[in-house]
Amino acid sequence: MKIMQMAFMIVAVMFFFVLVGLFFLGIWVGDIQGGAASLQRDKAISSLRVIADMPELNYDSSESMTLDEDKLRIMTGDFSAAYEVFWPVASVKVYLVYPAFDEVKKCPGFNCNYYEIYDSGQSNVKEYSSYVSICKNMKELGGEPRCEIGKLVVGVKIHEEQ
Amino acid sequence: MRNNKGQQEMVGFVLIVVLVVVGLMVFLVISLRDGPDESDSLETSHILSALMKYTTDCAIVYEPDYDAVEDLFKSCYEGDRCSNLGVSACDYLNESLSDILGDLMESEASVNAYQLDFFVKEDDGTQGLLRIDEGNCTGNVLASQRSIVSGSDSLVIRMKVCKVF
Repeated sequence: MKIMQMAFMIVAVMFFFVLVGLFFLGIWVGDIQGGAASLQRDKAISSLRVIADMPELNYDSSESMTLDEDKLRIMTGDFSAAYEVFWPVASVKVYLVYPAFDEVKKCPGFNCNYYEIYDSGQSNVKEYSSYVSICKNMKELGGEPRCEIGKLVVGVKIHEEQ
Repeated sequence: MRNNKGQQEMVGFVLIVVLVVVGLMVFLVISLRDGPDESDSLETSHILSALMKYTTDCAIVYEPDYDAVEDLFKSCYEGDRCSNLGVSACDYLNESLSDILGDLMESEASVNAYQLDFFVKEDDGTQGLLRIDEGNCTGNVLASQRSIVSGSDSLVIRMKVCKVF
């Protein structure tokens, strides 16, 4: 009888500790999953920085995530065809976000707000985006560079399982 | 004697349970306190960088020497006025930030709330100068902050964005 009581007690205590352990494990796994998702997102955004900081788009090499409006205009024109094998991604697009606009107007053009720098035309592409500054040199007018807020959108090809 | 031993076992068991519950409570309090707040994010950092570089229409001294938002924070702290617009830098900053952040966050479907704080660091703590916020925060809180120097004072701009993934 006494052994039974003791065995019951041990089982009860173990059961209790297992429950507590499961509770902690649940929280820990949740943290790991959240952390992994956050790291993956940060990694994708970091790779956007590589594109934004390329001399072909960058306004000033000392400032990260700052695009040159004049370079964007050039890269969206006929000149972009020469760069088709250059881009390590499926697509590169830049939108002007602020000042806000009513309709999307593709560049080059008057009052345009959307620069399609490169589009490979591939399907099954996942897009990542991040905010950037779009700056224009105004020094000839005696002023500092004028910067607006834009969004760099880069498409990455998703590999399908065969 | 037998009853006494049973009581001792009961007391021992209760003690173990109480100990574990106390440990659990401590863990819960710590995890809740450090939980969703202030997870430094690259995403928010980029929003804040783009915001700080945005050139406003406020010229403190002469046109076309317009202030970027970062300069406007300093001008606001120093009590300057936009000479071309005839308004105080702080009023213009408040209006511009609400406008810019409203438009930026409108384009982000997953963002349900945001908050931007502008405060000055002092020896005995911080003094809030401006706060712009909107929405009810649910989901993950992503935060980032920038420090700028005005004279001998350190100004801090902190941004929090609530995002549902």
